[in-house]
Amino acid sequence: MGYAIKTENLIKRYKDKTAVDGLNLSVKEGELIALLGVNGAGKTTTVKMLTCLTKPSGGKAEIMGIDISKDPDGVKRLVGVSPQDTSVAENLTVKENLEFMADIYLPGGKADEAVARAIEAFGLAEFENKKAKLLSGGYKRKLSIAMAIIGEPKVLFLDEPTLGLDVLARRQLWHEIEALKKDMTIVLTTHYMEEAQALADRIVIMNEGCVMAVGTLAELENMTGKKGLEDVFVSIAERME
Amino acid sequence: MRRTMVFAKRNLIEVYRDPLSWIFCIAFPIVMLIIMSIVNSAIPKEAGNTLFRIDNLAGGIAIFGQMFVMLFTAIAVAKDRNGAFLTRLYSSPMKSGNFVWGYIFPMLLTAVIQACISLAAAVVISLITDYSLNIAGLLLAVVAVIPSALMFSAIGFLFGTFFNEKAAPGICSIVISLGAMVGGIWFDVEGVGGFMYKLGRCLPFLYATKLARSAISMDFGVREFLIPLGVVVLAAGVLTALASIVFDSRMHADQR
Ligand SMILES: Nc1ncnc2c1ncn2[C@@H]1O[C@H](COP(=O)(O)OP(=O)(O)OP(=O)(O)O)[C@@H](O)[C@H]1O
Ligand SMILES: [Mg+2]
Repeated sequence: MGYAIKTENLIKRYKDKTAVDGLNLSVKEGELIALLGVNGAGKTTTVKMLTCLTKPSGGKAEIMGIDISKDPDGVKRLVGVSPQDTSVAENLTVKENLEFMADIYLPGGKADEAVARAIEAFGLAEFENKKAKLLSGGYKRKLSIAMAIIGEPKVLFLDEPTLGLDVLARRQLWHEIEALKKDMTIVLTTHYMEEAQALADRIVIMNEGCVMAVGTLAELENMTGKKGLEDVFVSIAERME
Repeated sequence: MRRTMVFAKRNLIEVYRDPLSWIFCIAFPIVMLIIMSIVNSAIPKEAGNTLFRIDNLAGGIAIFGQMFVMLFTAIAVAKDRNGAFLTRLYSSPMKSGNFVWGYIFPMLLTAVIQACISLAAAVVISLITDYSLNIAGLLLAVVAVIPSALMFSAIGFLFGTFFNEKAAPGICSIVISLGAMVGGIWFDVEGVGGFMYKLGRCLPFLYATKLARSAISMDFGVREFLIPLGVVVLAAGVLTALASIVFDSRMHADQR
């Protein structure tokens, strides 16, 4: 099996800050990885580089074998992203938002079907004709995520997908993400340990733009001699102090 | 092309769901037509002021209305650039040309609808005031104002790309005041002459008004029709090209 994502010494420097500092990461096709790290660790910046929203300052990255710097258009066709900030067209209805994204990515016939499926999967039927700006924060978030998935990406980036969702909605979204796993490679950033534990095949712990540890939960537990992701995370985070 | 149309459709919905765009782009020109016609009926014949006579007024208002289309284009673009939605689309397969035309098409359409409505209103006013208008000229005018519609949409697009949501409307208001003045919409700049006329001749607005008025009166003279047409088409072309270049470089700069 090939790699869906492969980065080599990926760097992002802003004026006075190196947000990502030599990131090396390989994600296999069909894998779901969780990116963990304290605020400012560089998770969002990594996602932005891999979805061609910002250009790397150095290093190399490939998505499904396509170089992000050499062929951004090729990459854009393969990736979907649900940004950390909810982003929908406020004056369009739920259905119009989904149709819009579907029409951007999919050829004519497939779009309608995809919209119907997304409405069903995310439980948006009740609100399908409601303007996005009138939705509650949580439903807006669900719509924003549905919009990332509707283009049937090969690699999906979910930046803190469950932020602002209630417990039930979070669990429901987990199920939806689980169901997507068989069709796509997923990178998910989160601050919720139980979310990473429940969903991820492998966990990547980042700090100050670098990867501190990678592995399955069992591997990380072995490495640190701790039990449970929260203790593992704390022990790795503290080791860096 | 498909993505341009998909994006254009979204922008069209945004425009048509905003009551302000109805008020400013459609209702306001009609109100101005009516008010100025009332003003005109109060001007004594001996004054020899024909500027507010419905045939001249209709052309002027058609261009004045397009200036509000410019304002709405600027607001739409600036608002989107400020929000997260446009950023999200940057990671989609949409190219800068899809964005540029996706914003401009709906505005062009709005401008054409606006021209049809205000010219139709002019017909009604001409019937009431008993001044006969040339219908063929009015129909021609609907087509003749398309280049200036493109020009104003492109100017609005440029302002929306350069300025933020707060600054763009202010800048547009300045252009609207200036354009109305040197464009000869509310008074005869050519007759007044001086600096105002000199400035007017260096900017495209005066030519746009002249073209609309000449179309309505079916005056196809070189100075009245052909030169204004040439200037407006050129300005529309240059500004649209500029808008594409600026947006493209902005889009890349945002990704730095
Ligand atoms: N456009 C920018 N200009 C300058 N610095 C930036 C920019 N974007 C991010 N940074 C900086 O880069 C670092 C990494 O930010 P990033 O958003 O990637 O963190 P994160 O891991 O996603 O954090 P969080 O968990 O809070 O979302 C931070 O120190 C941030 O201030
Ligand atoms: Mg983040």
